[in-house]
Amino acid sequence: MEGLSNWWAGVVKTFCLCFIEDNRYQLFISGIGISVRVTILAAVLGVIIGLLVALCNLSKNKGLNAFGYVYLDVIRSVPMVTQLMIIYFVVFASVHWSKWIIASIAFGINSGAYVSEIIRGGILSIDKGQTEAGRSLGLSERQTMMSIILPQATKNVFPALCNEFITLVKETAIVGYVGLVDIQKAGDFIKSATFKPFMPLVGVAIIYFIIVKALTLLLGRIEKNLRKSER
Amino acid sequence: MIDIKNLHKSFGDLQVLNGIDEHVAKSEVVVVIGPSGSGKSTFLRCINLLETPTEGEIYIEGERINAPKVNVNKVRQKMGMVFQHFNLFPHLTIMENVTLAPVKLKKMSKENAVKKGEELLKRVGLFDKADAYPSQLSGGQQQRVAIARALAMEPDIMLFDEPTSALDPEMVGEVLDVIRDLAKSGMTMVIVTHEMSFAREVGTRVLFMDRGIVIEQGKPDDIFSNPQNERTKSFLSKVL
Repeated sequence: MEGLSNWWAGVVKTFCLCFIEDNRYQLFISGIGISVRVTILAAVLGVIIGLLVALCNLSKNKGLNAFGYVYLDVIRSVPMVTQLMIIYFVVFASVHWSKWIIASIAFGINSGAYVSEIIRGGILSIDKGQTEAGRSLGLSERQTMMSIILPQATKNVFPALCNEFITLVKETAIVGYVGLVDIQKAGDFIKSATFKPFMPLVGVAIIYFIIVKALTLLLGRIEKNLRKSER
Repeated sequence: MIDIKNLHKSFGDLQVLNGIDEHVAKSEVVVVIGPSGSGKSTFLRCINLLETPTEGEIYIEGERINAPKVNVNKVRQKMGMVFQHFNLFPHLTIMENVTLAPVKLKKMSKENAVKKGEELLKRVGLFDKADAYPSQLSGGQQQRVAIARALAMEPDIMLFDEPTSALDPEMVGEVLDVIRDLAKSGMTMVIVTHEMSFAREVGTRVLFMDRGIVIEQGKPDDIFSNPQNERTKSFLSKVL
């Protein structure tokens, strides 16, 4: 009995040391802010870049085609950490923007490559008859793409896009490499300061779990809405 | 209304159309019949440039449409097309399917397009389905919506590409009724079909195609009761 209460007292003490003392929980709070901001901006950039690259790769224009495939090759062949460091320390070396914005750009450029393949697949999955129906009514290629093909493709690729967003949330855990203190880095700092690895790292894991779970629920709702034409 | 001169179309090495010369006058209902692979659909699809002819000239209301610098989208607005597989837009309601093109192409205001849409849906007997989605409709109903959608652009010409081939037999009648009405109203139409009795009834002229050319043509009664060409005879003996 006494052993148990001693053990419990130890747990409480470590908890206080890791999260309460010196207001260490605030590191996590600002860390969540960084992780969430980088993810959201990167996701938005990723979808925009992905859509443009997908359209390049589907275009009949050879130049756009070549650009799209080179982009894909380069981005998918280099580790994310390397890309992040190149963008931060080389490409944006003399640009004085907020660190988190530069990091978001790096993640957006990376995510865009994967998103473009998802979107390209989605566009190709739409029956050719849909394009023909649109064009036979007199709609231009662009109008057909915007009002007929893309809305349907979006619905089809939504689950795959959700996957990409969820991956993105966790990929941002490397922003510590360019000096940003996100959730992961906050846990790291606390681990080094207290010499207690368990609580801070499990704390990091739980926070990521909660964020991803919330995101999953939100995306699930949106998907249900998108599917209302299939009643 | 439609003038076709020396129309050729090939896909790679495959010659599908081997020189077609044809004239379709206003309010004519031209029915195209023939065995599968004879080039009927390709012929029809060349008329609104869903296929680009490899050789020859196509004139719509006097304007050559397969020339460089022609605004294909403008040309297509004069022609409605109905497909074998309906090709309704599954993410839009029936009313949105019908009003999309007139509104996007600024032919009508939203209100006028909806008014026109209501009128057309009543005409094809589907006004009560205006807010439904295509997946909630039967094949016959979907095809009637597809006809309404094409009519919403107020075309001068209607093209039908085997409009009843994908339908269950009991739904063929409702679609043919709509097409028959349209023929009576004086619409210029070109119909590719396998419905021989329908071809005979509504057609003002029948074209029999085989191997990429028009082998025989004439009034429906003449073609069906008294075909001259051997190939026409053998085809009709199999399908009638």
